[in-house]
Amino acid sequence: MTDTAARATSVVAPTRVRRRLRGGGPRAGTVAAFLTPFFLPFLLFYLVPVGYALWQSLRVVRRTGGQYGTSYTAFGGFEQYAQVLRNTEFWSSIGRIGLFGVVQVPVMLFVALVIALLLDTPLLKLKAFFRITAFMPYAVPGVIAAIMWSYLYSPQLSPVVDLLNGIGLKPDFLGPGAVLWSTANVSTWLWTGYNMLIMFSALQSIPQELYEAAKIDGASNWTIAWRVKVPIIAPSIVLTSVFSIIGTLQLYAEPAVLRQISSNISSTFTPNMLAYTVASGNNYQQAAAISVVIAVITFVLSFGFMRLTSKRAGL
Amino acid sequence: MRTRLATVAAAAGVAVLAACSSPAPSGEASAASCTPAKGKVTLQYWNTVPGMDKVVDLWNQRHPDIQVETKNISNDQYGTLGNALKAGKAPDLAQVGYDELPNLRTQNAFVDASACKTATAAKSKFVPWTWSQTSFGGTGVFAMPQDTGPMALFVRRDLFEKYHVAIPTTWDAYASAAQKLHKADPGLAITFFDPNNAEWFNGLLWQNDAKMYGYSDDKWQVTVDSARSRQVAAYWQKLISGKLVRTDLANGSTQMYAAYQKDRIASYVGAAWGYSMFRDNLPKQAGKWSVVPMPTWGTDGASGDWGGSTVAFMKGGKHLYESVEFNTWLNTDPEALAMENKLGGLYPAASAGLRLPSLEKGVAYYGNEKIFDVFADSSKKIDTSFAWGPTQKTVNLALQDAMAKAAAGDGTLTDALSAAQHAALTSMKDQAIPVTAGK
Repeated sequence: MTDTAARATSVVAPTRVRRRLRGGGPRAGTVAAFLTPFFLPFLLFYLVPVGYALWQSLRVVRRTGGQYGTSYTAFGGFEQYAQVLRNTEFWSSIGRIGLFGVVQVPVMLFVALVIALLLDTPLLKLKAFFRITAFMPYAVPGVIAAIMWSYLYSPQLSPVVDLLNGIGLKPDFLGPGAVLWSTANVSTWLWTGYNMLIMFSALQSIPQELYEAAKIDGASNWTIAWRVKVPIIAPSIVLTSVFSIIGTLQLYAEPAVLRQISSNISSTFTPNMLAYTVASGNNYQQAAAISVVIAVITFVLSFGFMRLTSKRAGL
Repeated sequence: MRTRLATVAAAAGVAVLAACSSPAPSGEASAASCTPAKGKVTLQYWNTVPGMDKVVDLWNQRHPDIQVETKNISNDQYGTLGNALKAGKAPDLAQVGYDELPNLRTQNAFVDASACKTATAAKSKFVPWTWSQTSFGGTGVFAMPQDTGPMALFVRRDLFEKYHVAIPTTWDAYASAAQKLHKADPGLAITFFDPNNAEWFNGLLWQNDAKMYGYSDDKWQVTVDSARSRQVAAYWQKLISGKLVRTDLANGSTQMYAAYQKDRIASYVGAAWGYSMFRDNLPKQAGKWSVVPMPTWGTDGASGDWGGSTVAFMKGGKHLYESVEFNTWLNTDPEALAMENKLGGLYPAASAGLRLPSLEKGVAYYGNEKIFDVFADSSKKIDTSFAWGPTQKTVNLALQDAMAKAAAGDGTLTDALSAAQHAALTSMKDQAIPVTAGK
């Protein structure tokens, strides 16, 4: 596009002028300079690894003769994906975290919401203290949190277990049925404060006039909380739900640490642990395929959830 | 702008392709040549042994022309090695466990050092079963054995005496001793079964001549699930079902020591390197422990190995002659072996190592018993034809997952063997290794 042409069309089509400025004019260099710091790492540390995983997932190992032979990789189409989809360990790990998510995510978000609402009421004193206290677990790295909890769960070392034994209870936090919920407890402890803070900051941005109007209409604090505040911060609740769904599908650190003290957490307990286990057996191609399938499931679930709730949440 | 984006995309694509392209297939390299280098040489030796840098310092002082640099990779031994191999930056020498040798060999990780006379001559200096592991039962020399874990039974002699139970010498006697101890004190178990410890269980299989793999008709024969392995599985399943052994303790965990501390467990099926475990963690039980030979299955008194490792000649090393010289010294020289034993707690694979002064003395913690005589004797009775598989890690994990289920009452240890057999076949097929279920 020449300058004359641009000038000629500018009168009738101002949008095209804008496009031209973005496209090739003297400001392109400036735009590139501003965008490069984002796009270069994005390309190097996001797009290239994703592309590499996709590529790997389409490869299969081949070998030239002998007892030990020499391996090389070849294009295998969707062979790895077919194996992942046939793998019963994969589906049971998906089922396990599905159950985990269905229970843990609502419980955690409900607790987070209640704390956020409590912190937002004028009734509560020492707000800053409680806000920090509720948020504090998030500052503890997941692995450290899991190590800490593993001491509280361990029958030989835990004061909690000793106490419960003392009153005649025999809890087994690490038993085959309980260990999933012990893991869920660690995740809840870790992430409630974080979700609470997102909801709390949304609450903070609600104009006070709304509450005054509601009060004039005769609404109690209770009514204001559930009928005014919660609907207004619905987008934040949806956001925290999406984060939690993603977090659940990527669950790794907590069960991996608890596995050190409980043989009831298998090496394929969660999809990410399965991917790690498969990779540690040198089957990088299949581990890549597992990762891609997890990513697709995460994508479908998070966007599905957003679509499902977007109308009601007013997004 | 569009063209620039396209260039970037194309460059990224090329980068991806370059990163993924695999080398053209070629047959496994035959023995490399063995000529000394001219001038000074620096070798890389990656290991996992505490104090190994001190041993290497000694070598470096004496050999100015062959300098060795060490790096401790105990944090993620095989991950680090695997990545280095992929990147073409493997060291000259690396610490590799016996059960990981076939896996790394299928990844083309080793050089055959048999062109070096020093390497082939070293054969006679090692306990026979260790050399058969590093040579894969053939004539190649892919690694030098370093340390071993011949198995034996650690017993709380005082507890056995207290309940008038004889220390068992056969597995049958061990099972009835378990019953007697449990009857005398329901809170006392004869030992624990750690379902997350396939390496330990494999040692028990080795003892019963339950070979996990063979090779014939140009195929790997997987016999993880065999009559002999099932005998071991059924034996421990019976102890687990009868609640005569505990299944809630992980080997080496704080919980495990706590249980021993409280006199809740009367024995420990262990290996030579474990002698310091109790000494260092349960000092108050000094004088109460004894080491006796493993209970046996038959009359041949065969034993098994649990753990230990080798120093392998890695592909990409440029100084094979010097690597062989250093590696041989490191694993056969009495002075080096004594240091490794003292600093790293290694129980040597070299025959000369078994006669170290420190290993011929009585050990105070064990009532001055000469416990290393028991381990030396055990090492001599380890089957030389037992072989590990090329996907051992995957098989071990599958075995552990299924053993944990069995310990929790879901299935049996026999089921665990068939799960491990299945995992062996699948994982080897995934690696395009010719494989079949053996008989």
